[in-house]
Amino acid sequence: MNWNEFERIFHGCELVGNKIVIQSNLLGVIEFVLKEYPYDMLKEIIATDKGDEGVELTYHLYSVDDEEDLFISITVKDEIESVTGIFKSAEADENEIYDLFGIKFIGNENLKRLYMPEDWEGHPLRKDYKEDDKRLEWNDKQS
Amino acid sequence: MNYLYFLYIEFLQKHGIPKLFGDITFYVIPFCIIFGALLVVILALVLAERKLLGFFTQRKGPNRVGYWGLLQTLADAFKLLCKENITPARVDRFLFNLAPILVFIPVMAAVGIIPYSAEFTFMNTQTNVILYLILAAFPILSVFLAGWASSNKYSLFGAARSISQVLSYELPITFVLLSVVVLASSMNMTGITMAQFSKWGMFGWFVFPCILGFIIMFISILAELNRCPFDLPEAESELVCGYNTEYSGMRFALFYLSEYAMLFANSMFMAILFFGGYLSPFGKYLSNILFGETPFASVLLYFEQAGWLFFKASLLIFVIIWIRATLPRLAAFDLLKFSWVVLLPLSIINLFIVVIYKFILGGLA
Amino acid sequence: MTSSLRLNLGPQHPSTHGVLRLLLELDGEKILSCEPDVGYLHRGMEKMAEKMSYIQYLPLVDRIDYLAGFFYSELLCGVVENALEVELPDKVRAIRVMLLELNRISSHLLWIGAFLMDLGAVSPFFYAFREREKILRYFEKLTGQRMMYNYFVFGGVRKDIEYLEDVEEILSILPEKLDDYEKIITENPIFLMRTRGKGILEAETALNYAITGVNLRASGVDYDYRHNDPLYKGFDFRAVVMDGKDSWTRYKARVLEIKESMNIIHQALVYLKEAGKLEQKLINPLNLKLPEGDYIQEIEAPRGLACCYVKSTGEDKPYRLKWRTGSYYSVNLLRELLKGEYLNDAIAIAGSLDIILPEVDK
Repeated sequence: MNWNEFERIFHGCELVGNKIVIQSNLLGVIEFVLKEYPYDMLKEIIATDKGDEGVELTYHLYSVDDEEDLFISITVKDEIESVTGIFKSAEADENEIYDLFGIKFIGNENLKRLYMPEDWEGHPLRKDYKEDDKRLEWNDKQS
Repeated sequence: MNYLYFLYIEFLQKHGIPKLFGDITFYVIPFCIIFGALLVVILALVLAERKLLGFFTQRKGPNRVGYWGLLQTLADAFKLLCKENITPARVDRFLFNLAPILVFIPVMAAVGIIPYSAEFTFMNTQTNVILYLILAAFPILSVFLAGWASSNKYSLFGAARSISQVLSYELPITFVLLSVVVLASSMNMTGITMAQFSKWGMFGWFVFPCILGFIIMFISILAELNRCPFDLPEAESELVCGYNTEYSGMRFALFYLSEYAMLFANSMFMAILFFGGYLSPFGKYLSNILFGETPFASVLLYFEQAGWLFFKASLLIFVIIWIRATLPRLAAFDLLKFSWVVLLPLSIINLFIVVIYKFILGGLA
Repeated sequence: MTSSLRLNLGPQHPSTHGVLRLLLELDGEKILSCEPDVGYLHRGMEKMAEKMSYIQYLPLVDRIDYLAGFFYSELLCGVVENALEVELPDKVRAIRVMLLELNRISSHLLWIGAFLMDLGAVSPFFYAFREREKILRYFEKLTGQRMMYNYFVFGGVRKDIEYLEDVEEILSILPEKLDDYEKIITENPIFLMRTRGKGILEAETALNYAITGVNLRASGVDYDYRHNDPLYKGFDFRAVVMDGKDSWTRYKARVLEIKESMNIIHQALVYLKEAGKLEQKLINPLNLKLPEGDYIQEIEAPRGLACCYVKSTGEDKPYRLKWRTGSYYSVNLLRELLKGEYLNDAIAIAGSLDIILPEVDK
């Protein structure tokens, strides 16, 4: 990849191994990468809660022809544009992250609480999540 | 039947009971006999099916209750009797309760008109082949009632599938039946049986001139019985349990048992149409061979004839169960297509073949 | 006026293999839209990992996919071994590969039985279970467990391999039995009618929906992670790639994959019979701390590519652990694949994707 040109277009990005860390404009970066390289599969989106910085989303791209992985990482506070327009598999990942991390994906209409009940308070995989839902107390009383 | 009838009336008159009473009760008694016999047969059939399926899949089948699992179905029936009859809140109560009762009545009547032997024909009418056909299609109405009254989407789908399936398979059956009627020149099941009599035994059977018809009939009967590979109405993997999803306890048992009763009745029907009914396949009866022309032999003959009919029917049932163990299920649309595109034209062709055959045979004779 | 019917397929439905719930919108029996709803078996595997040390977590990961438990323990072991840069001895690799492939066979066998059950054939289910039972018996003899093996540990295996003659027996009977299955299933006209040309999954769609494993290879894409996996180094095998794209091809590909797995097992078996005593350097699991950093490990599981991502901050617990499982993406694919199909085909198509719910819900 022509890294210099890439850096010129998208400011403030850095390359660590095969991981590109970007600050903003996720869709632009992915579209730019796809134009040059045949990454045809979004294997997964990994979300990691980084405390006050926000949630780091790592997009794990894969090219079947080149057998090559690429990670694009972006840190967001609470919302980000959805990539379902490019990779349909993101529907599944984004839904999971919405449920467990509380990140909203703009443009994904199928977002819902996937594992947790509809009216569950908090998002369990966030580091500041406190297990204080009333239903948990009820569970304790039963035992 | 006349012989038995006169014996009965004579017996009553000896004890001073009026003839009217005898006229009425004469038809009640055989009905009770049929009912009792049918229950035993159904229980045996259920066990046989499970044992055979176990055999085909290299399992033992039921073997805990009673010797060799003989009492298993009895225990199951008892369990179903003890279970609570659940009527879901949103169902149409009247129809929901009516359906399982209605399903059994035509089955009983259908079993009643079958000629078991030269004497054991409880209700004999001139055109009882047609009557049987109507009665055999009747349970589908209660299936539809059950599916509709359950207010359950799976039940509704099951019932709708049942109706469309039976409707499309009824026509080939009718055409095949017509060809048998042409061969026998009779619309009476006893007449059809007797028409297959020949001194070479089994070579007079209609299965030989009408082999195509038999295959069509067999397939269509499978479909009408909702047996595999046409068991779509109760396709477990799609519709949970089909039309009887909401039924429990004895009501479920009635549906379940009526299916087996219908299986038994239809197998006998096929045996009558194509395999000479109660006729012996050797042309001569065993009881005559063993005991000569004695009165004892002539009584035993009736039972032997019934035995032959049962034997032929159970062979057919064995094949049906075998098919169930082998084949996957058809898809709903392939099923209907198969009937309208393949079976119906073939059955009409079969009718033509049989008519020509009969014409040539008649011309020669 | 026509209106559509909403049908709630599952979660307690006989053919959804667990607790998948599909909200179908039907017009007659035609499916207008399908909305999968998962989460009835959610156990919080990822949250649990953050509260446990690695060795405490190891027995749990078998339960992510109870039909292919070895694959997930291998993943977690692989992450730890990679992070600590431990090289596995050849014998350990051979043992692991042999057990993984046996596990893959047992998983595929179960799928064949369950798939045919979905289509309404009773017998293949029992036939497949008969052979699977032999494999499970062997696992039980070796590890003491039939499903949750907990046999792989960090840096090796819990104990030396035993009862190799059982594996030999499995290898000797399986080809014959597979031929039997093919006789009763593969060319059966009704089976062909139900599966040929049904549930067509184009290669682009499959890639776009991140479908991996057999389902992807049956659509003609040659992607088998085992070829890049250092664990499989030295084993000679070919990925089963077929170009039929339909349910039937997915079935056939699985049958062929069983044969390919048998080939791999055979190679491992030949090596293991010659190999001497097991010599392995186990990682001390007590006070095990991974150096700071991100670790990712992938494996070709029976139901598609599985990944394990671990972010460590140098503590004895992972800061974040994420699983990627194949079935999860297959469930998402149902939305697209079932649209416009009929209800009874829908079951066959969903079945052909080999979805298993514990893997989806994690």
